[in-house]
Amino acid sequence: MSGAAAARQVGERLRAAEPLNAVLHWSQALLDAEGGRVDDMAAPGPLAAMPIAVKDNIVTVEQPTTCASRILEGYVSPYTATAVTRLRAAGAMVAAKTNLDEFAMGSSTEHSAFGRVKHPLDPARVPGGSSGGSAALVAAGVVPAALGSETGGSVRQPASFCGVVGVKPSYGRVSRYGLVAFGSSLDCISVFGRTLDDAARVLSVMSGPDPLDATTVDRPPMRVPEPLPDLRGLTIGLPEEYYPPDLHPGVAAALARVRNLVRELGGELREVSLPHSAYAVPTYYIVAPAEAAANLARYDGVRYGPRKVGPDGDFRAVYQATRGQGFGPEVRRRILVGTYVLSAGYYDAYYRKAQQARALIADDFRRAFESGVDLLLTPTTPTPAFRAGEKTDDPVSMYLADIFVSAISLAGLPALNLPAGRSEGLPVGAQLIAPSFGEERLLAAAAALERVIAAEAEVR
Amino acid sequence: MGERVSIGRDEVRHAARLAELAVPEEELERLVSQLNRIVDYVAQLERLPTEQMAEPFLPGPTAAALREDLPGPVPLAYPPEALAPEFADGFFLVPRHGAMEDA
Amino acid sequence: MSWETVIGLEVHVQLRTRSKMFCACRTSFGDPPNTNVCPVCLGLPGALPVPNAEAIRLGARAAMALGCTVHETSVFARKNYFYPDLPKGYQISQFDRPLATGGRVAFESPDRGRIEIGITRLHLEEDAGKLLHDRFPGKTAVDLNRAGIPLAEIVGEPDLRSPAEARAYLTALRQILVYAGVSECSMEQGSLRVDANISIRRPGETRLGTKTEVKNMNSFANVERALEAERGRQAALLEAGQRVQQVTLLFNAGTGQVRPIRSKEESHDYRYFPDPDLPPLVLTSGWIAEQRAALPELPEARRVRLETSLGLPTYDARVITSEAPLAEYFEAVVVAGVEPKTAANWVMGDVMTTFNESGAFPVPPGRLASLIGLVREGVVSHQAAKRVYAELAQTRDGEPRAVAERLGLVQVSDQGALASWVEEVLSAHPAEVARFRGGETKLMGFFVGQVMKRSQGKADPKGVQPVLQEKLRTKVG
Repeated sequence: MSGAAAARQVGERLRAAEPLNAVLHWSQALLDAEGGRVDDMAAPGPLAAMPIAVKDNIVTVEQPTTCASRILEGYVSPYTATAVTRLRAAGAMVAAKTNLDEFAMGSSTEHSAFGRVKHPLDPARVPGGSSGGSAALVAAGVVPAALGSETGGSVRQPASFCGVVGVKPSYGRVSRYGLVAFGSSLDCISVFGRTLDDAARVLSVMSGPDPLDATTVDRPPMRVPEPLPDLRGLTIGLPEEYYPPDLHPGVAAALARVRNLVRELGGELREVSLPHSAYAVPTYYIVAPAEAAANLARYDGVRYGPRKVGPDGDFRAVYQATRGQGFGPEVRRRILVGTYVLSAGYYDAYYRKAQQARALIADDFRRAFESGVDLLLTPTTPTPAFRAGEKTDDPVSMYLADIFVSAISLAGLPALNLPAGRSEGLPVGAQLIAPSFGEERLLAAAAALERVIAAEAEVR
Repeated sequence: MGERVSIGRDEVRHAARLAELAVPEEELERLVSQLNRIVDYVAQLERLPTEQMAEPFLPGPTAAALREDLPGPVPLAYPPEALAPEFADGFFLVPRHGAMEDA
Repeated sequence: MSWETVIGLEVHVQLRTRSKMFCACRTSFGDPPNTNVCPVCLGLPGALPVPNAEAIRLGARAAMALGCTVHETSVFARKNYFYPDLPKGYQISQFDRPLATGGRVAFESPDRGRIEIGITRLHLEEDAGKLLHDRFPGKTAVDLNRAGIPLAEIVGEPDLRSPAEARAYLTALRQILVYAGVSECSMEQGSLRVDANISIRRPGETRLGTKTEVKNMNSFANVERALEAERGRQAALLEAGQRVQQVTLLFNAGTGQVRPIRSKEESHDYRYFPDPDLPPLVLTSGWIAEQRAALPELPEARRVRLETSLGLPTYDARVITSEAPLAEYFEAVVVAGVEPKTAANWVMGDVMTTFNESGAFPVPPGRLASLIGLVREGVVSHQAAKRVYAELAQTRDGEPRAVAERLGLVQVSDQGALASWVEEVLSAHPAEVARFRGGETKLMGFFVGQVMKRSQGKADPKGVQPVLQEKLRTKVG
């Protein structure tokens, strides 16, 4: 398909998907310009005319970048993220900027200043978050792939809720230059795809070191792997802590089916233990807010963004008013928690302790992989998509939606969500986790399962 | 975390001041209870035995890659004045602080 | 009642790089506001810092020049506070794992002779922007050209005991850093800034008094004045039975006074934590050794060498080593064959005067050596040589001998010519001639001087005296 044709087709689908509220910025004119640009390329590259939606915390020069926050309302970045530049150079088209939890803080995309995103299969439910807009667009068939960002599961979790592929690369695999920082030691640009192949192709183009990001690892870009025909010779670890007795029955049943498929494909299953994963969510909710409190200090109404003026009229009043009115409640909570855990007298009790816990969590994974396990298999989420409003009153209950994904983020590992069936009509996902920089094997092995899994079939 | 105390209004006000966040009085009570809920929850880390504590872990490269000292920054598609809420004669402007001094 | 003064200085120097600490913006001084800015130093959403290798090399070099241990691993940390000159709301600095620790600076104290002051640490950080408060009514203007320029912060031990000693320490510190080539160290351009901590206590007391921090001093002389003023203020408080409050004060060079600025109680809760955007800074021991080997000879070592191997007096060696180019020039003159003390006299005289005026050496060392050779050979007088030097310096060209000839400064030792100048002088001063003959022989100097004057410095002074003696004697008869 030509770029121009793809632009028209995506435009129609975006219009049809408007009720989802998954998109913050798009225009047919910009899409047509993207299509024209691709059609003019001498060698459009591996992603020729592929429309890709981009989470609105990844900066682009053509559209606003708001992070779904009032504090960046109308902000247009004067530079473009490395990941997007690489995608466009490979022939991809930026289709739209997608809705998210404000500054990627949330697990339901209800914390957007511009309204919640609806689950494509049930508008009363959430698509997961924080990359809920991107997940919903891929699930609704608007685009074959979309960029999200992960800090503690913000792609895998909504991928699971929406029934699409979601791949988080190793920390340092994809440049963060132009990804608006939330928790810098955790943030990873990640990918949603209709299929593993779509996601792998996008990830491959974005990956590789970037001289503008000192945290990228000096390794060659990821190659798109050949799918494995089966899983013979592979050992898949089952961490017992990720299969609690009170796991949602639909999720448990879906995972049981995946385990059977692994065996049928010749893979070996082995129980392992990741004892410190139990501390992942509390560790995450110290590390991420601490980093966020500093990362969000730059939104002060001095150099960019809307400014609010307080009653005193001095510059401190500008800070207080701009930030107090510009940030939504969840962002304010996390800034306050992050400030508190770093402040004098509390640093050792919280931040230092969390750093140490993080080391123990990462060490568990290292040991499991060193013991001969190639990949780990777990549920991605403890339940299918929950109802909107169900968890907004209690922040901690919302945090627990990330119980199976946050340890992987703390350890910086690559992992993916593979749709694994439906429970009462709602998608359920399986998570596969690989050692650091083991994306190629992870994707190749997952592709063997993808071929045989009946992702849209009801499980019981 | 033996010395952990529950968060009160003063702690919230203090953090809000450090973070330059205006918190309306009427929201304070609710924030106090939410922050207590969060801090109580993360405090379960105190159950981790400290003697087996490893060095802090950070993913990514073990050493910073350095940049050569060559001028040539990423260009701005729009100049600073296009971004700024208040700008004149090449400067960003902010209201002046009563006691601000050039230090 | 007497007081002991305790002073510790924190010195920030701008490292001499072409681009900023964490982005590729230029570091040039005096450009139009907000023109050397990019996503990183504007603190735009999504921008990330990447450390400048040269800033790290210069920081390590500075640390080595100050005798510090440079650590193989150091960590960048975020120092969190809000101010309009700080784009990200935090400054990237180093906290619990600095680049270097444990050095010292040796220098001559005006009060205590030779002393050593400890250097606690040297760490790297980025500069903030510049604020202008007087340009727009009711507004503060922000220029971020300076934001992100690389700085080394050098924290000294509270080992200084007087404002004058603090000034001498700063002079020595600047000398070392300029020698090492790490910074321009210009207080006027802001490439060297000083914050001072000062307290006083009774002699013999071991505990420190409450200290205050003095800022806003724009010259070494003003550092001394500000500390004098603050010492006086603290002493007056204590003597009146009051307490010293821990405050920050600004020095006003116009009034010579220090004035406290309002401090916020939480202003020191910087919530440092390791910057997750920057992996640890790792330097190999090989690289550190290489840098150490590349370090130039420092003023102290050079001074000792000039004293011991060239036999210069301590005073001369100190003056000559005060600036590296001066010392290099001096040594080149010696290498060209000039006796060291003679070379030192020239360098501390006319050479230093032109260097201080122009910052340059218009007369190459070899040419100065040949000029000095002309004096030694009696071809020109010392006085005449100074005129030749001035001419050489001005025209920046010409051989000393040719210039001396062109100016008619080659000494005359021809007996006939000398005799005629002597005759003229004696005829012009009959009274002095009579006094000389009456036994006032010390007037000989006067007659020699007059002859030199009459000959416009051309007469060879060594030849003048015998002729004078001869003529004064013959006239008796």
